[in-house]
Amino acid sequence: MRFVDEFRDPGLGRALAGEILATVEPGRHYKIMEVCGGHTHSIYKYGVDDLLPANVELVHGPGCPVCVIPMGRVDDGIALAHEPDVIFTCFGDMMRVPGSAGTLLDAKAEGADVRMVYSPLDALRIAKEHPDRPVIFYAIGFETTAPSTALTLKRAKAEGIGNFSCMCNHVTIVPPLRALLESPDLRLDGFIGPGHVATVVGGRPFEFIPAEHGRPVVISGFEPLDLLQSVQMLLRQLADGRCEVENQYARVVPYEGNPAALRVLAEVFELRPHFEWRGLGFISQSALRLADAYRELDAEVRYSVPGVRVADPKACQCGEVLKGVIKPWECKVFGSACTPEHAIGTCMVSPEGACAAYYNYGRFARDREVV
Amino acid sequence: MTARGPDDHCITCGDLAVGMRIVRRDPATRLAWCSQAAPGDGSAAGGEWVDTELVGDVRPGDLVLVHAGAALARLGEGAA
Repeated sequence: MRFVDEFRDPGLGRALAGEILATVEPGRHYKIMEVCGGHTHSIYKYGVDDLLPANVELVHGPGCPVCVIPMGRVDDGIALAHEPDVIFTCFGDMMRVPGSAGTLLDAKAEGADVRMVYSPLDALRIAKEHPDRPVIFYAIGFETTAPSTALTLKRAKAEGIGNFSCMCNHVTIVPPLRALLESPDLRLDGFIGPGHVATVVGGRPFEFIPAEHGRPVVISGFEPLDLLQSVQMLLRQLADGRCEVENQYARVVPYEGNPAALRVLAEVFELRPHFEWRGLGFISQSALRLADAYRELDAEVRYSVPGVRVADPKACQCGEVLKGVIKPWECKVFGSACTPEHAIGTCMVSPEGACAAYYNYGRFARDREVV
Repeated sequence: MTARGPDDHCITCGDLAVGMRIVRRDPATRLAWCSQAAPGDGSAAGGEWVDTELVGDVRPGDLVLVHAGAALARLGEGAA
């Protein structure tokens, strides 16, 4: 297929792997974190890590929005889904995320009208089709997804769709990266930056990583050769003694991002003072809520939600996985009590979660073979 | 159950975006019907309505990067 095959070319992949091998310093261990769930999925789908030398280790950060949703917010969504006459809409993977007493799919089985949508626009269309019923959209995602929610809220307000509202769980990528970098048990050599978040926010928000923490960043695309080239660019920076934000995905990502998207985000949303991230705890100014001008569309204002903090299951080690402290297979319940069919932790729910990626692509091995 | 892309990703949850081509656009609403198929590649044309507010004045035939029903960037040929 055009535009895809050239980024999956085996010969070019082997050539890049050779360049990487020639760049690494023997005896040095490199730890590189990708912070986008889409990258994690691609790495294991295409076996990108099998082409890397054994001393280049990829660890997986908190870049899957489903994986970082705390159980209390799932419970809040389920409570809204059980409100009288409500049509509750959300993205597909969210329906399988366990709260303290079940999932949204369980709520649907119990009679709640929970519907999967592909976009916020789908939820707004449902609201127009059912003007006599309240329709709630459970918004989730990083800066890639937030513009779509913002545009839909603007549309709902302009068109006066009074039965539409939104429970906002949008999060932002930079605060958790700051929290990770300030974590004393973390040692990283560089970051593979999130390509599609950067389409919106650009490269500048990541400049604090080299400037304040001395780690290079390469914003990357999602095909296997994109990822291999990004690893090579990171290793090249380390070998040259450079430390900066580079843009491997320049064919899609302008360094200034999308100013129109940033404007609409600033109009519709404001930062929450703090927000809980699964496994990472509360992080200041790391999530969005509806700005005052859009408060009438805020489901958390219209309805009373429990808002109770729920501790993660004791057996689940999603927090350590999300911080890159342990590999998924090091979790006590990985592949036994916790599988994609019966997930205990959020990282096993979404295919973009690190645990699901390892499980689905048979990564049960404790060590990689040396290339 | 999940909104899947061609590679079995959850497009929305995975923060993934896909290249789509504008088929027709309503200037009043700025909604455009977009197809996933590249012209002439013979693949079945899946489609969806996309909000083009953030990418300026796009026209039929233009390629855009779409995530969760919103076009986030205009793409050159070969970029997707």
